[in-house]
Amino acid sequence: MTNVDITSVAKTYGQTPVLADITTHFAEGSFTSLLGPSGSGKTTLLRIVAGFITPDSGKVAIGGADVTDTPVYARNIGMVFQSYALFPHMTVAQNVAFGLARRGIRGAEARKLVDRALEMVRLPGFGERRPKQLSGGQQQRVALARAVVIQPSVLLLDEPLSALDRRLRQEMQVELKRIQRETGLTTIFVTHDQEEALALSDKVAILDRGRIVQMGPPAEVYEQPKTRFAAEFLGDTNFLKGTVVDGALRLSDGTLIRTGAPLPATGAAAMVAVRPEKMRIDAAGKAGDGAENRLSARIDHVIYAGPALTYALTASDSTALKIFAQNSTGAIHAEGSDVSLVWQPAHTIPMEDAA
Amino acid sequence: MTALARFYLLAILVFLYLPIVVMMAMGFNESALYELPFRFSTRWYEALSGNGQLISAGVNSVVIALITAVIATLAGTMAAVALDRHAVRGRTLLQLLLLPPIAIPWLITGTAMLVFFFWTGIGRGMHALLIGHVALAIPYVVLVVGTGLKTIRSDLEEAAVSLGSTPLHAFFAVTLPLLAPSILGAALFAFAVSLDQFVISYFLSTPGFATLPVQIYSAIRKGFTPEINAISTILLLGSMSVIVVFAIFARPGGSRDKR
Amino acid sequence: MPADTLARPAASPPGAAAGHRLPSWFSTAALLLPTYGWLLIAIFLPLCTMLAFSFMNATPMGRAPVVFTLKHYKAFVTQPYLVGIAWDSLVIGFWTTFLCAVLGFFAALALARATAGRARETLLILILLPFWTNGLVRVFSWTMVLREGGFLDVLLHSVWPGAGSIGFLYTRPAIVLGLVHGYLPYMILTCYIALVTIDDAIIEAAQSLGARWWTILTRVLLPMALPGLTTGAILTFVPVIGSFMEPRILGGRVGVTMGTVIEDQFTQAFNWPLGAALSFTMLAVILAIFATFSGVLRRSTGGMA
Repeated sequence: MTNVDITSVAKTYGQTPVLADITTHFAEGSFTSLLGPSGSGKTTLLRIVAGFITPDSGKVAIGGADVTDTPVYARNIGMVFQSYALFPHMTVAQNVAFGLARRGIRGAEARKLVDRALEMVRLPGFGERRPKQLSGGQQQRVALARAVVIQPSVLLLDEPLSALDRRLRQEMQVELKRIQRETGLTTIFVTHDQEEALALSDKVAILDRGRIVQMGPPAEVYEQPKTRFAAEFLGDTNFLKGTVVDGALRLSDGTLIRTGAPLPATGAAAMVAVRPEKMRIDAAGKAGDGAENRLSARIDHVIYAGPALTYALTASDSTALKIFAQNSTGAIHAEGSDVSLVWQPAHTIPMEDAA
Repeated sequence: MTALARFYLLAILVFLYLPIVVMMAMGFNESALYELPFRFSTRWYEALSGNGQLISAGVNSVVIALITAVIATLAGTMAAVALDRHAVRGRTLLQLLLLPPIAIPWLITGTAMLVFFFWTGIGRGMHALLIGHVALAIPYVVLVVGTGLKTIRSDLEEAAVSLGSTPLHAFFAVTLPLLAPSILGAALFAFAVSLDQFVISYFLSTPGFATLPVQIYSAIRKGFTPEINAISTILLLGSMSVIVVFAIFARPGGSRDKR
Repeated sequence: MPADTLARPAASPPGAAAGHRLPSWFSTAALLLPTYGWLLIAIFLPLCTMLAFSFMNATPMGRAPVVFTLKHYKAFVTQPYLVGIAWDSLVIGFWTTFLCAVLGFFAALALARATAGRARETLLILILLPFWTNGLVRVFSWTMVLREGGFLDVLLHSVWPGAGSIGFLYTRPAIVLGLVHGYLPYMILTCYIALVTIDDAIIEAAQSLGARWWTILTRVLLPMALPGLTTGAILTFVPVIGSFMEPRILGGRVGVTMGTVIEDQFTQAFNWPLGAALSFTMLAVILAIFATFSGVLRRSTGGMA
């Protein structure tokens, strides 16, 4: 009923294509993050759903109805802005009641709804204050209450947490997720913060230069990145390059790396990605069972961060690598020592755009 | 260094206010020939109350300034909104076109109006003065209101529209209340520009219709009387109080949010 | 489906029904029309008409045929006394601008560096206040100070009773004094806006590098105030060149400038084409001066201005 469908949407400013032929589906009640660097088109896509930007071509449908030519004010959306955009000349209650009044709900009924919305964002009794008298986090909650109280068809969040400090942001993430679950609103969330996207969403869509390069549940997008960009943008990644030989990747020094997913045909150049926490240092160099990938490397630096360790290494084919290790034993491998790295073929992901 | 700087500022203030204070004082001096010693008298203010020509010129000035303020504020605010919030082709050119009324010497603008109004049959007099004054005041209004609009983030309007306001309702419910101090400031500005305007008025006045500055000028040229001091003092105090009000209202943040 | 915690309000806002929307260019044009229509009628068409008039052999009145001519633009050749008047006007303009710049820069500097908070705010308002009072009245008030037996003389005689008059009304310095008084607040304001943004840290940094006050003034403060000085100079020079009321009141018979000559063509001599030609010549000279000035400025500051 309130799913959102984007069909072949494209937008160009002057000569610069901002969005190129986007087709995607936001399921009812889902929480989807649009993740990408600045200039990737994520905000443009959100603003096209909102109606602030008219696409050059393509269709936008909310709840099955084509709204491409419907003005913003008739789309029944709820939007939270990066700057909160609370009306400074109105009280908190007047802010929250604004959208209700536009829908003809005034007086006692409006007051009841406003009170419940403020309770939901844990700001009961704040109705008579002015936005200026609230902290950043409180203002954000009011903005959320204002967007949610009108029961919008879709909730659009434009980097709503980026202006908050780290601690407050984590707190608001929990709140946001709770409120989204309680209201069951189809939510589209724009962010450039990958951890935030992973923590909050049912689905993550990674945008790069106006295209959705990958979309799926957080774990899938993180564990199985399809392209170099997706792998790099979402977390840290080690890349290994080589040539395909009998279904395995042969690095320039001859080391054979096996993958879970199939590689291209023999003789082709290919690249695989391995997450730093999936690799393990096998100092003893004890013989493997053959089921694991094994690569020798030299430790260049160790960064000690208490509970976790980061190793920077150079592999035998002179690729720079990075490894995250839990500080579970207290033993730290010395800089300059030669070690073996082991990991599973299933964690070795071939890149589609390898070259 | 600081003491020297403050002394210098004091000297500048003395320079700026000396003639004004002397003139105001002379308005209260008994002698018609500005003779000293000073003897206090209000006779020139009394004489002023009997000078119908000066009084009607004063009324003309205020009426024209009021009408100018209303028209220029309305038109200028509309233009400022369009220039700041709408996608306008040739925005830079349109903004440049606001400069001639400010940047071209009034002597040239004034004589050009005289020539054009004569040639088209618009003629001189109150309506011609109004056309001229409004044209001079509009650029200031656009600048003042435009500056005010820049301090109001456009996402406030977007928020209102996302909540169901039409763009028009968003403007009246959100932008206009926040813009009110700027608009009031612009109106006072326009009022002051018109009240102070002499050059354009001088060329567009008729013997039967003159504003106060024009009347004062001809009185000065004919050989003045201290009545001019009296009316000038009233005029000075009047425009000064308008500006003081403006300064209080236009202060960023205003007094409204003091609470 | 997750439970609703809020009652569901009426589904859609009222605007949904209103299907007829005017195109956006229409509302933009409607908003811009009053302002630009007004400026067209009151400023641009008059200027065009006057330009046309300046090429006519006589004021087009009565039945005499009007002929195209360039003779009014040759007035400086045919009436050599105009060259002297134009030169005098430029000298008055330069002196006024120069004095305003020097006095205004230091006043702005003092305001920005030696005052703060409420005192600064009050001082700024006090400085700008006279500017918003009637210019004519302010010029007139100087006559009371400068005339023979005026305030200046009274002041002198109270110290030195036997002295003669030092009143200098109806001289060129009186004109410059009145004009400086009129335009100084402009210059102070534009310089102040440029100077107030200077961070204390910049001056401290210069001092820490061993700069003396003279170096700080010429290498730090003056370059930073340059945009303000330029704006102030334009705002002073342009109206001063076109002034006629100040020279008449303060200059008396010596107060003959381009401004008064042009005014005469329109109010006394009734030679509109000549007045128009002189006006446009003046405009051209002003533009030429600024073009030269801004070219020099750009070269000396490396494209900053």
